[in-house]
Amino acid sequence: MHISDGVLPTTIALGCYAASAAICTWSVKRTRSEDLPKVAVLTAAFFVASLVHLPFGPTSVHLLIPGLVGALLGPSAFLAIALGLVLQCLLFQFGGLTALGANLLMMGLPALLAGLVFYRFKGTGRKQRIWVGALCGGGATIFSALLLAVLLASGGEDFYGVAKLALGAHIPVVLIEAGVSAMVVSFLLKVKPEILDIPFVMKEKP
Amino acid sequence: MSQPLYLSGYWLLLLLFMPLAVYSGFRMLLGVMRKGEGGKERDWSVPQLEFETGAMSTVHRWDVRFKLASFLVLAFVVVSLQHHQTALAALLLAFCGYRAACIPWRRGFKRLLGMSGFLSMFLLMLPLTAVRQPDDLLLIFGQLEWLSFNLRGLDLAVLIILRATTVAMLMEPLLATAPLPVTLAGLSRMGVPQRITELLLITHRYLYVFVHEARRMQIGMEVRGFLKTSNIATLRTVGNFVGMLFVRSFERTERVYSAMMARGYQGHWPQPVSFRATTTDYYKTALCLALGILLLGCDRLLLVGG
Amino acid sequence: MHQQAKIQSELPTQQMLMEVTNLSFTYPDGTQALTGINLRINTGERIALVGHNGSGKTTLVKQLCGLLSPGQGEVTYLGQSLEGEHLAQSRLKIGLLFQDPDDQLFGHSIYEDVAFGPRNQGLSEAEVDRIVRQVIAEVGLDELLYKPPHALSYGQKKRAALAGLLAMQPDLLILDEPTANLDPAQEQVFLGLLQNFPGTLLLISHDLIFLYELCERALVLDRGHVHHDYLLKELVEHRPSLREHGLDFSFRFAENPALPTVTINPEIHPVPEVRRKNQCDEVLVDMRGVSYRYPDGTAALKGIDLQIRRGERVALVGENGAGKSTLLMCLLGLNAFRGDYRFADKPIHAGKGRMIWQQTGMVFQDSADQLVCPTCYDEVAFAPRQYGYSEDQVRVLVEKALKKVKLDGFDQRIPLHLSGGERKRLALASVLSLEPRLLILDEPTAGLDPQGEELLLEIIREIDATLVLVSHDIFFVRQLTERVLVMHRGQIAIDYPLSDFLSDKNLITLNGLDYTYRDQCALQIRELQHRHEHAHPHKHLHDHNHRHGELAHQHPHEHEHEHEHSYIHRHNETGEHQHPIQSEYHDHDHPGHEQDDHDHSH
Repeated sequence: MHISDGVLPTTIALGCYAASAAICTWSVKRTRSEDLPKVAVLTAAFFVASLVHLPFGPTSVHLLIPGLVGALLGPSAFLAIALGLVLQCLLFQFGGLTALGANLLMMGLPALLAGLVFYRFKGTGRKQRIWVGALCGGGATIFSALLLAVLLASGGEDFYGVAKLALGAHIPVVLIEAGVSAMVVSFLLKVKPEILDIPFVMKEKP
Repeated sequence: MSQPLYLSGYWLLLLLFMPLAVYSGFRMLLGVMRKGEGGKERDWSVPQLEFETGAMSTVHRWDVRFKLASFLVLAFVVVSLQHHQTALAALLLAFCGYRAACIPWRRGFKRLLGMSGFLSMFLLMLPLTAVRQPDDLLLIFGQLEWLSFNLRGLDLAVLIILRATTVAMLMEPLLATAPLPVTLAGLSRMGVPQRITELLLITHRYLYVFVHEARRMQIGMEVRGFLKTSNIATLRTVGNFVGMLFVRSFERTERVYSAMMARGYQGHWPQPVSFRATTTDYYKTALCLALGILLLGCDRLLLVGG
Repeated sequence: MHQQAKIQSELPTQQMLMEVTNLSFTYPDGTQALTGINLRINTGERIALVGHNGSGKTTLVKQLCGLLSPGQGEVTYLGQSLEGEHLAQSRLKIGLLFQDPDDQLFGHSIYEDVAFGPRNQGLSEAEVDRIVRQVIAEVGLDELLYKPPHALSYGQKKRAALAGLLAMQPDLLILDEPTANLDPAQEQVFLGLLQNFPGTLLLISHDLIFLYELCERALVLDRGHVHHDYLLKELVEHRPSLREHGLDFSFRFAENPALPTVTINPEIHPVPEVRRKNQCDEVLVDMRGVSYRYPDGTAALKGIDLQIRRGERVALVGENGAGKSTLLMCLLGLNAFRGDYRFADKPIHAGKGRMIWQQTGMVFQDSADQLVCPTCYDEVAFAPRQYGYSEDQVRVLVEKALKKVKLDGFDQRIPLHLSGGERKRLALASVLSLEPRLLILDEPTAGLDPQGEELLLEIIREIDATLVLVSHDIFFVRQLTERVLVMHRGQIAIDYPLSDFLSDKNLITLNGLDYTYRDQCALQIRELQHRHEHAHPHKHLHDHNHRHGELAHQHPHEHEHEHEHSYIHRHNETGEHQHPIQSEYHDHDHPGHEQDDHDHSH
């Protein structure tokens, strides 16, 4: 779910812009410059993957995949998500222009965290990697749902109900996200394990 | 104490139905418009950002940098508006601007559809969950005392929708009136690192490639009988699909990078776009800013008045 | 027909452009890709780089472009090693055309994309603009200057990608499978463009016919070594080499009696009996007035009337963009067409083809679009599982399907790691697992090497199903089908038996496709092959210095010996051939003969 224009208080929206610009700068710095075009191409694939809809009971939910982006890209994930969200906003109006910063924080922070967790705990066993993958996928979604709820609630007491609803609406998404992440990790382990070995783009800390 | 107003339970149904109606209304409208053009294929492909009318409207001739600055300021002004009157005025102005840019309405409606799901949630939940305040007008349906429909909540929801719609209507004249590279070049002149705008262009280009790729893979699965349901098998298949998409994109990434290197790429994408501002650009921008200040001023005065 | 090549070879161009000395390369994962390569490329040469998949062609090309740095040895361009500043400069003069044009068109419009190279060369904007417009006009895309690449057809993309390279005025142009997936007309355009290219050319291709048109030198790679480096003509003439490197396409002549000079006679290649037996009068596909518009309103199909009987084998030909793919989508009930469509007497509603997907199978042009599973077994089991077969039944079906495509034992292999030909066969198995009644093949041979083609042909022949084949390859059409539908601009322009199609001389005027062209090229090559395959003992009347023991003298004399003779000859139905009558006594050089001791009556 992306926050649209006109929901957040202007100060919060501007604050989120500033915060995400700062993190984005960090993310670019942590990416080797020759890898930047590659991140851009991969972002397009992530974008397309996030257009995949899955039925859940009577409704359908679309994938968010912040966990997978984090696991595959490491620190560059924030940049990738920034690119993706800007385009989503420009093309589909998924997420408003003024709420771009907030949406970016909401998706980007969980991705960074998921990346960290994946590389800390992935281990070497196939089973373990799949489980950690599922954890990252599900966990990142829970985290971003929480952020969404907090951001919505920043509008004042009146918005608490909406925030709770948004949180609740993410329960099926979390399940599906965890499942799909596990399956994707399992697929990649079989077919092209090397892309899970090291973050695709990772620069040593200067 | 808030002022309760007792109504029959049927009203509740009617009010709950409203967000749904708004959402499906948009869908239908879009469907009708598409039908007018023939073909009603489920469209997977990504919309084209720029739109070529051949007509050069005032907005088309506006220097991109000035256009961007004006629209960004306007967008932030609009989301700061606190009153229906000013928000409605802003919406009307946005419609005028839209008209002036000679863009078909369908594109704007598509944008509204993009956010209609999220906004319907507000229309549904805010009236029901807004905190009761002393002067609130509450609608209470029959015996359902605990479920009150707060008109202030509805007001709030409508305000949000007005703001969101206005900004959405600003987006089309902003983006569709110049080629994307030019818009992005303008953006980089305004302080966004050029590197980021280059990356955006690449992502935008490969979006289409992957959308087509994913579409073909999807057809390939469908004709072999794949039907999405809520079960583990579907998850596994979708996991395979997404995984394959990633593997293919990783491989393509390498090839694209090689291709760029082979054509002399050295970390910098040369895109010389030259801008020349004329006095009209200044006038247009001044007009926009004045409108913004006027709106904001009226809004704040209303606040004092109210 | 290969005049260009001749002219090129006559040029006195001996200036060295690139030199590779003792080059070896190992990938980080330990794969030894190249071993001890020594190579010299002179200015103006046109070289065909051939070899099996995985023989190191792509790696070598990457080395030549400086995209990979050599592990051992050296690559020099104009005498200087490809490193540092010189490398950056050289890249601007070496163009590389990728197989998939989408890899190369990263610009937002054709103009932007083509301008990328010249701008990197540091030219002024005015200069860039002039070059870009000129080059785009050269490749015939001047009306689409500002069109975004994703809105182009495949052939146009390919040309746009080439324009991006030509704009840099490269000294050396390297092309990777330039003709894969192009229709005959587009291929001709491409051929023309390359023939007019003044610089040095290096082509990677499996398409010997195309190479033969353009190149004079052949470089054969085998497992990372340069296996041969000689004239292309020599390679073509030597069938065992061709076969060894997977290039032998002579299976194409197996039952092809047609010669350019002889009118094709339909009686010579009768439809095999097997097909006739299965065919009956039951109509499987019945389309009436089917039309389709793209979401943007362009008409893609205009009133298609089509009946296909069960067991029939139909070919669908036409230029790119004629509506073939759209018609296939309609056949599968995938898109929202208008009109009446019945499959086996059941009405199919637009966009709701699900009910017939169990009875139809389609093999996509790009097998990557069809292969989504981690193992071959899962891939083939995909469809049966979707239709709720038990795992036991699934196993039986999978084994049967894999066996049919000669991939038995591949169960646990990973589809992504298979070769192109194997992947194509796997894709075929994945639709054969449910034994479809209607099998649709979209360009099955695109991008396959001749060996892969031969095997695929054999497999498809065995399949017992109604067949719809979309192909630009007239050989496959002739081998596999008995009825041809020519599509043109969204309509079925002609619907006739195969024999009429083969003898139709008017097709070129209809849609600019010359399907017989490739046949003619193939025949020319065949002549070359035959010239050197025959040796006959015969007599000669000589006049030369020769020795009888101590005595050396010279006079005309006659004796018999055996050596090869070049004949242009033709084959009849049974594979026999005749030679033109030649006099028994003739004279020509016999190197070394003079020194031999020999005896004859005086």
